[in-house]
Amino acid sequence: MRRRSLLFFPALSGLAGCLRPRRPRLNVFNWSNYTARETLPRFERETGIRVRLGTYESNEEMLARVFSGNSGWDVVFPSNYFIGPMRELGLLARLDHRRLGRLGLLEPRFAQPAWDRGLEVCVPLYWGSSGILANPRLAPAPARYADLWELRYARRITMLDDPAEVYGAALLKLGLPLNASRPEHLQRAHAEAMLQKPLLRAYLNAEARDLMAAGELAACQTWATTAQQAISAAPHLKFIYPAEGFALYADCGAILRESKRKDLAHLFLDYLLRADVAAEIAAGTWTATAVAAARQLLPPAVQAMETLFPGEATMQRGQWFEPLPPAAQRLRDRLWTKLKSS
Amino acid sequence: MPGALLALFFLHAPLLVLALFSFNAGRFTVWEGFSLRWYAEAWQDARLVEAAGNSLLIAAAATAAATAAGTLCAWGLWKRESRVLMLGMSLSLVTPEIVTGVALLALFQWLFRFGGFRLGLHTVILAHASFCLAFVVLVVLARLRTMDAALEEAAMDLGATEWQAFRRVTLPNLLPAVLSAALLAFTISFDDYVITSLVAGVDTETLPMVLYAMARRGGSPVVNAISTAVVFLLGAGILAAEALRKPE
Amino acid sequence: MKSRLRTLALAPAAALLAASVGFPFVILAAYAFLSRGAYGGVMPPWTLENWQRLADPLYAGILARSFVVAAVSTALCLVAGFPLALFLARAGRRKNLLLALVMLPFWTSLLVRTYAWMFLLRDTGLVNTILLRAGLTSEPLPLLYNWGAVVLGLVYAHLPFMVLPLYAALERQEPHLLEAAADLGAGEWQAFWRVTLPLAAPGIRAGVLLVFIPCLGAFLIPDLLGGGKTILAGTLIQNQFTASRDWPFGSAVSLALMAAVLVLLWLEVRRRKEPLL
Repeated sequence: MRRRSLLFFPALSGLAGCLRPRRPRLNVFNWSNYTARETLPRFERETGIRVRLGTYESNEEMLARVFSGNSGWDVVFPSNYFIGPMRELGLLARLDHRRLGRLGLLEPRFAQPAWDRGLEVCVPLYWGSSGILANPRLAPAPARYADLWELRYARRITMLDDPAEVYGAALLKLGLPLNASRPEHLQRAHAEAMLQKPLLRAYLNAEARDLMAAGELAACQTWATTAQQAISAAPHLKFIYPAEGFALYADCGAILRESKRKDLAHLFLDYLLRADVAAEIAAGTWTATAVAAARQLLPPAVQAMETLFPGEATMQRGQWFEPLPPAAQRLRDRLWTKLKSS
Repeated sequence: MPGALLALFFLHAPLLVLALFSFNAGRFTVWEGFSLRWYAEAWQDARLVEAAGNSLLIAAAATAAATAAGTLCAWGLWKRESRVLMLGMSLSLVTPEIVTGVALLALFQWLFRFGGFRLGLHTVILAHASFCLAFVVLVVLARLRTMDAALEEAAMDLGATEWQAFRRVTLPNLLPAVLSAALLAFTISFDDYVITSLVAGVDTETLPMVLYAMARRGGSPVVNAISTAVVFLLGAGILAAEALRKPE
Repeated sequence: MKSRLRTLALAPAAALLAASVGFPFVILAAYAFLSRGAYGGVMPPWTLENWQRLADPLYAGILARSFVVAAVSTALCLVAGFPLALFLARAGRRKNLLLALVMLPFWTSLLVRTYAWMFLLRDTGLVNTILLRAGLTSEPLPLLYNWGAVVLGLVYAHLPFMVLPLYAALERQEPHLLEAAADLGAGEWQAFWRVTLPLAAPGIRAGVLLVFIPCLGAFLIPDLLGGGKTILAGTLIQNQFTASRDWPFGSAVSLALMAAVLVLLWLEVRRRKEPLL
């Protein structure tokens, strides 16, 4: 008896769904930290479009879900180094610039980015970097990635749980480019990473933030936006852009080719380019916005944050992540497995 | 007895920690004073509430289906072996979750190409019922093997049909095991992340999916609040059900 | 009439299994012999490359380590779960309530519970704080990001999978039989060995199965509590299907793992000369 009645409610709600009048709908698949409180409600009020937001924590997770070409999502936000591969897989739709009037509001460096010269398939919206977060109270702050190989930090440091970041740091320490893809370079970086592993407490992503704030770690490799969150809670922490160089990434809005609501999707992307909207997201989530006009709207304290907006001199040392050629990608994956299981 | 108490404490320690920090005024795991702000935030988050509702609905439906199918299956297997089904059960248990998820996704996409369906609530419930099935069969069969088959035969000798013999003789003795199995199925289904995230449609976000995203990003205490709230509600529901039930 | 009812009883389960096991298994077997596309996906040519890659000692080591960790966790889970199951089975009128209350913590997300354990075990966590304040240690103990933490997490997460089958097997019959044993002069320990334990045997088998196998495939707990410093079979497979997007290799590793377990099960069934489930 109880079992039969349980089927009643799904049936009823299904029926109710059919009877409700349909508002236009948009399905947005985004990183979990790029939406401020008023972002979606304001859009819904102004356009009458209902937005369904789904979130993901990594590009791979997003790709796994949209790979099949009938996932149901309209707008996604790949990182810059995923744009190329996704484009080759035929997953992204061409953008219609006539519907994106606010593209001119972007910072000059994002108007013609290396990963999509004419902004044909993506709109850079958020960007950031990775570097070293340090606790000067526990130990002298490191100034370069090479310092994270020092014995004095034994068991008090962590690195990001990401092959691109760990091998990236090793490559930079060796004076090699961040996106080096030659097998001998990757092997050398692997050897460095193997040397470092006994010194590490763990490979951690956002979890390191808590440990830093609690005073358990002397330093960790982390993203600038995560570092800013930690610094806001524990102001004595410092974020350092390593002297050898550091990695840069940008998360861009893109429309899936499978989408049947491309015009609504364009409306949404143009909305995200609005200065006030972008500024609200930047201030609310501690992320750097790619929209120049938005940056000017931010409170002076936020604009001055080195973690979000590094100075020009610092930016000279930054290198944008690029996709590795497939063979190098496979080698790096194998080396990562070896590193982890040693 | 003391061993059991230790085990009970061990079981609930994380839950107590969770509950404690759901009342923390601060954002990180450093105590900053008592506050209900995270509960307020969780309640206002429509996405979270909807996800919790979805999870409960899916778990209830999948548990019902898996328990019914699984109990009947265990009974059938108890009466006489079936190598094929045994192998199927073993495979179901042995397959890693990610593999089941990816394979089910492939199956659904094949079907959708010919039927025009989309991923949604129904696909998730089907997936959950499938992977809970083997657990139910295992638990119920373990109990059945401690029972005497002769009792049912005796009932049938006395004129009962096979179904009546099952319902009136075996099933009452079996109910505690069926309840255990249902509880297990509910728990597995409610907590599942891997398979659900792969076969869920755009509209079918479940609590584990939302919590996973929030927790992986570095834990907002809203996560603690909603987890504590869910457990508290479920616990209260069970206590109420127990109070209303006539004691054995 | 007799077999028709039985067939009907088996039908829904058979249908679910065909969909969730049969078809996926076929797909998996096919994928394991195919190749990875440039950026992921599965496509021809058919190849044995995935299996050749498996022969590398790196992967054999990962699988072997996973078996050891799973076995240790299962054994500890049995030791921890048996008293609890006994306690529940003998609980009398309120046992359903107690059973549900025991399950209560497991209705929070696994991830959330694991984070709670991380909070308890880290250097500034509750356990170390208590030890330091009580003067039992002078420095925080490294309780987290090592094998001990991983085993603890695995035991914790799979406790209900052990307790429930044990409870199901022990419930109701055990107290009466114990009384009978006592009447016949058996001591408490003797009664335990010769009455309770054999009675619980099907439950123990079920519990061990339900714990060992998920432990083999576990990836979240080893990853989080192990600090990402190690790779077990579950993480390896998970990575192939997500980060590395190498589904053919992931399928091959999964099949290898599943085959290893099935062989173990089959050997056990043959030795015991009894049905498995």
